[in-house]
Amino acid sequence: MIYLSQLIDQKVWDGFGHVVGKIDDIMVNATEKSAPPLSALVLKGAPENKTMIDAQSIASLWPSVTLKTDITKLVPYTPKGHELLLKQRVLDQQIVDTEGKRLVRVNDLQIARKGEQFFLTGVDASANGLLRRLGLEKVGKSIARTFKKEAKTHVIPWEFVASIEHDDPLRLSVSQSRLVQMPPADIAAILDNLDSHTSKALLQGFPNEELADTLEQSSQEVQQAVLSHLHPERAADVLEEMDPDEAADILADMDDQTSERLLTLMEDDDAEEVRTLLGYPETSSGGIMTTEFAWVPYTYNVEQALTHLRSSEEALEDEFMYYVYLLDEQERLKGVVSLRDLVTAPLDQPLSKWIDDDIAQVTPLTPQEEAAYLVAKYDLMALPVVEPESKKMIGIVTVDDALDTVLPTAWKKKLPRFSGK
Amino acid sequence: MKRQFKFPFWLRRIFLFFTIIGPGLITASADNDAPGIATYSISGAKYGYGFLWIIVLITVGEVLVQEMAARMGAVTGKGTADLIRERFGVRTSAFAMACLLLANIGTTLAQFAGVAAVGELFGISRFLTVPLAGLLIGLIILRGNYKNIETVLLILCLSAFSYVITVFVIKPDWGIILKEALTPTIKLESDYLLAVLAVIGTTITPWGIFYLQASIADKGTDLKDYNHTRLDVVFGSVWGNIISAFIIITTAATLYPKGILVNSAEEAAMALSPLAGSFSSILFSVGMLGASLLAVSVLPLSTTYAMCEAFGFERGLNRPVKEAPVFYSIFVGIMVISMLFVLIPGIPLFRIMLLSQSVNAILLPVILLLVLSLANDRNIMGEWTNKRFANVLGYALTGLIFLATIALLVGMFLPAA
Repeated sequence: MIYLSQLIDQKVWDGFGHVVGKIDDIMVNATEKSAPPLSALVLKGAPENKTMIDAQSIASLWPSVTLKTDITKLVPYTPKGHELLLKQRVLDQQIVDTEGKRLVRVNDLQIARKGEQFFLTGVDASANGLLRRLGLEKVGKSIARTFKKEAKTHVIPWEFVASIEHDDPLRLSVSQSRLVQMPPADIAAILDNLDSHTSKALLQGFPNEELADTLEQSSQEVQQAVLSHLHPERAADVLEEMDPDEAADILADMDDQTSERLLTLMEDDDAEEVRTLLGYPETSSGGIMTTEFAWVPYTYNVEQALTHLRSSEEALEDEFMYYVYLLDEQERLKGVVSLRDLVTAPLDQPLSKWIDDDIAQVTPLTPQEEAAYLVAKYDLMALPVVEPESKKMIGIVTVDDALDTVLPTAWKKKLPRFSGK
Repeated sequence: MKRQFKFPFWLRRIFLFFTIIGPGLITASADNDAPGIATYSISGAKYGYGFLWIIVLITVGEVLVQEMAARMGAVTGKGTADLIRERFGVRTSAFAMACLLLANIGTTLAQFAGVAAVGELFGISRFLTVPLAGLLIGLIILRGNYKNIETVLLILCLSAFSYVITVFVIKPDWGIILKEALTPTIKLESDYLLAVLAVIGTTITPWGIFYLQASIADKGTDLKDYNHTRLDVVFGSVWGNIISAFIIITTAATLYPKGILVNSAEEAAMALSPLAGSFSSILFSVGMLGASLLAVSVLPLSTTYAMCEAFGFERGLNRPVKEAPVFYSIFVGIMVISMLFVLIPGIPLFRIMLLSQSVNAILLPVILLLVLSLANDRNIMGEWTNKRFANVLGYALTGLIFLATIALLVGMFLPAA
């Protein structure tokens, strides 16, 4: 295996043993996604028209860089616009390893020979790469040996690498297509470690739904930074895709003017749900509840209930659907059944079996701590939220949202900050 | 069930004030940390008003350097370590990070020395106070909910104000002060040079540069608002140095005439006696303790972030130790080494605080040259590169520190000459 760091500053010899110059950088054809072929060597200290040499004329790269022809017969390379300069644009930059799902720094680049051609095969992001750059690879190996460990060089195949340089639209769009397939929580973790300019650029090209999922998992800083830089129309579209309680949390952190503007741009029914949620204090059950939950009329039997759930939009939007709530015509809570019990019951059994007057419930103004207490006490996955006057059921507090108080979100925050939000 | 502790309303108003004021102002106020207070006290007591001109000079230098760091943060959205790695590669990064690490371990141990000095003022052994402080701050950071604690510490730091009040109680001769502040005097003695370097090193710090740039980059400041940021940074630097000047004036007016040299917290606290009488040691301790703990809560962590950023290690307190072993090792390493150093029996605490800051200054040119080069790079800064004026001053400052270092070394190795 050859590494870029071993090639930089190496002398380039022509077919007759004359030094042409030293390698300053290497170009690859960036349009090739899995293993881009080398297109040219960029030389320094070479005669004026010989500073770029076509990779076709390379005879070998290791142990010494030699060319097939005599210096006078070398044809200079003319860039075609798809080249990527490895040292200048890739080495030392941050990239996303979409396989390992993390943000890494390019410590070195691996180049391999296949037949007559050379290819860029992968990115070395390991500590070994660092030591190689420092000329300390041997030292590293002997240290590893004394600890009875093997110094591993981990090379990420180029096809799993997503570049995040925001001033390169072409490569960024390739990266986006790779990133979109990662789980939202992993993307969010990467965004938290990225600088604000790059994370914004990266998310611009995400489809609305994926962007919404990612933002739900992101820190408040990232949420605000990204949304404030989207076009308001698009920001509203993204908010519609989010869970209403998450959307409400985000809007609550914005200034009134901005949040009002976004709400007017949102679809009416989505906006209305969010507005209701915004009316409750952040630390109340109403503030943390979600308004999307699965319910069926209490007069149904099991078969009718299951059919109803399949076509009910609210049920489809219920993220977990631990329970199915039984409501009357006025949307008052009559009973509750776990999805498991419902599915395993005989189809003709009426739902009246699960009607119960004494269901653990909260009002929108019940403090979050109390909701958490009830969830823990009765071992529930979700708690219904009921309007005290009308007795209408308006939402559920899920176990993860309720427990956020007991396991404070603050410990997830990263850098110590004296200031700001 | 966990009950949340609520601060009284008036106190929350003060907190609000602190969350609104910008990172520039706070970075600069935090410059008056334990080694800072120690360095100014020692210098003022030993050299009197004659030291004030250096503060004037340093103020210009700090404004210059902090403004560059802020501008880089605002333009690139990246940290200093990121930029150094991306522009200069592994070797230069490794060297710069080694300098940063050394300087910051020095400053961190100086904070623990501050804690030890305060403890010993009340007869409490440093073997008790230092590990306790380290454990307390370490746990608060690792648990991550230190926001309130930080504000409390900042308020404790306000007791640095007592120096300003003391000066107005003593009523010194402002004519002399002004004259001394504007007439440079230089002594070619190694103790004097060490003190000069320490005062530079405690004011313009490598970590101040990294920290300010990171916090501005994190805020994602819009370049349209850059004038606000600049104002905040300039105002903050000037403010921090005004406090420094008052510490020097106080010690110069109270201790210098009596020939009292500051070697311990007891002597340093005496400077406040015209204001607080027998309570001066309490007043001094509150400020010193707040400043030390505040710096300990920020410095090791921001150093760790910078290093992981430069070398691409997994980082962040939201990651478990198993996923980010290097991150946690560096952090714990800095804390433990700093604490152990202060626990070496018989080590002179105030001397160590001063020397750590001289080391900071000696290492500063490395970082300054890199920052100057980055701030002039069109590929990075676009149209926001340094103005010529800033470059001239920047290189002059670097040269000056370098010259002082050379003079110090010559003086140390050729005592007869």
